[in-house]
Amino acid sequence: MSKPDPMKTYETHKCRLLRVYGLTTYEKLFLFRFDDPEIAQSWRFMPGQFVELSLLGHGEVPISICSSARRMGFFELCIRKAGRVTSEIHELKPGDLVRIRGPYGNGFPMDRFYDRDLLLVAAGLGMAPLRSVFLYALDNRWLFGNITIINSSKLGKELLFAKELKAMRDIATAENIEIIQTATRDPDWGGLTGRAPSHLDKANVDPKKCTAALCGPPRMYKSMFEQMITLGYDPRYIFVNLERRMKCGVGKCGHCNIGTATSWKYACKDGPVFDYYDIISIPGLI
Amino acid sequence: MRYVKIPTEKVCEFLERLKAMGTLYGPKKISEKFYDFKEIGDVKEVEFEYNRTITPPRKFFFPERETVFTFDTANVEIHETLPTGEPIIIFGVHACDIVGLRIMDSRFIDDQPDPYYQIRRENGIIIGLSCLPDEYCFCSVRRTDFVDAGFDLFLHPLPDGYLIRVGTVTGHKLIENSPEYFEEISSEDKDNFAKFETKRRSMFTVQGNWDDMRYRLELHLEHPMYMRESDRCLGCGNCTLTCPTCRCYEVKDLPTLDGTGGERIRFWDSCQFRSHGLVAGGHNFRPTRKVRFHNRYQCKNAYCETTTTAYCVGCGRCTYYCPADIQFKENLLEVYGTGGGA
Repeated sequence: MSKPDPMKTYETHKCRLLRVYGLTTYEKLFLFRFDDPEIAQSWRFMPGQFVELSLLGHGEVPISICSSARRMGFFELCIRKAGRVTSEIHELKPGDLVRIRGPYGNGFPMDRFYDRDLLLVAAGLGMAPLRSVFLYALDNRWLFGNITIINSSKLGKELLFAKELKAMRDIATAENIEIIQTATRDPDWGGLTGRAPSHLDKANVDPKKCTAALCGPPRMYKSMFEQMITLGYDPRYIFVNLERRMKCGVGKCGHCNIGTATSWKYACKDGPVFDYYDIISIPGLI
Repeated sequence: MRYVKIPTEKVCEFLERLKAMGTLYGPKKISEKFYDFKEIGDVKEVEFEYNRTITPPRKFFFPERETVFTFDTANVEIHETLPTGEPIIIFGVHACDIVGLRIMDSRFIDDQPDPYYQIRRENGIIIGLSCLPDEYCFCSVRRTDFVDAGFDLFLHPLPDGYLIRVGTVTGHKLIENSPEYFEEISSEDKDNFAKFETKRRSMFTVQGNWDDMRYRLELHLEHPMYMRESDRCLGCGNCTLTCPTCRCYEVKDLPTLDGTGGERIRFWDSCQFRSHGLVAGGHNFRPTRKVRFHNRYQCKNAYCETTTTAYCVGCGRCTYYCPADIQFKENLLEVYGTGGGA
């Protein structure tokens, strides 16, 4: 094996913002293209991976990629206006330039998903990385069995990509895809209510031959795991995408450290995707 | 391995010779009680019998603060400021600190190598020096008190000089280039080396092996020691800043006043600081002093595959320099020994 090139570790690429779509009050979707055609040609990622986005002079933030890995030269980031850097990112206009490094993290092991049904369960911003898995499955439809996606949030207007998912309804029926969108605490919401686990019974998947990917707050995982195992889902095929303070993205800076003395992990490098057995053997992971 | 001897009276001359090869750093007395690695001007200032330096040798390869690149905001261009690769020689590194550097290597020169660290490390010469432990040392139970690798030369005290182990080709070259300072070892030197080792080993206040420490800790994650001791912790970060294997860093952009350019810097961070786990939106992954304190005990006792040791090498700095006198070794032994009912 040849020695890894140290200059690749933190290498950044110039990217141009092409479009900005408003999603909710606090979240926007940003479509970027690599400025260098050679990078645009060669840059690849897997669903569940993230990039570090730099606004020079302001700082750098880790953001999950939410577009399809099949779409090359472009990528989309769903960014919540939450802090100093993301507030500046929300001010960007089409044509503006940023710098990107990555992709980082292990991503979802997609070979563990093939020829099986697919269950995606997202809560809140968890929809961003799972949208990447969902679009990947649509773009490689023949590699997957039945597909269910459960998208949940507190309020109906906070549901990420709600319109996009709604618009897919016709093709979803034709493609054996069940789309469930639920608001957990919204009296004004006309659609489904209740938390994601309460809609598991509506999934069109066979638990015994289904791979599941979950992304949401830690308390959702606990209730989801209990229910999924009761329903007969195979724990070897349950994956979660965890977020920590992934500052460097390459297992160096230490901010995303998780675990205990026997199971010390860097979320950015050992994760952010972990499986069920990681969760039960690494205290503090969720 | 090749062994040679350097007689006491030749050591200073050898250090002078080393100075010609690059910047020489070594342990110096900096106050009544403390030592630190400093650039060596006068070789007579090198302390051969120091207990520990305040700052760990990792600072030569991973400085407290460095510019990673400068930038131009108008064109969104960056210019990496890589180290120049000036040769440096670090003399007098204790065995525990050498393992500390190897632990640093395992994380910073992995499949995604850190270029800033790697360039400096490749241009560094490490000359080890054996030592006698004080009551703060517990490298023996960490299996880091005697090193097999990670040094170019390693000096073991003899009554009339030093027995030198030659660890690398660079080490061989150092000997070959200055043959006038070295001689072959005698059977008396071998005896004296063995005597020193016996004495050294007998002096540790804690004996045995802590390879199972991490499991003992994990079986008692709620041990009352954490609450009691973290209540005394000032959160100053001295333990992590002086630690030879702590490597958390923070990154910041420093724009120029007119906003057209600036630099991105990185600098040592500490998991004992509140800001370490703080993310946008105000959530903190380690919000209390207790969880931050707990975090360090877990991290330091985790397993490093490269060295097959814990990340803690038992140098004793975190206790020696703790302003609250928190006893790391004793606290670990408390959890190890009793379980405390937790």
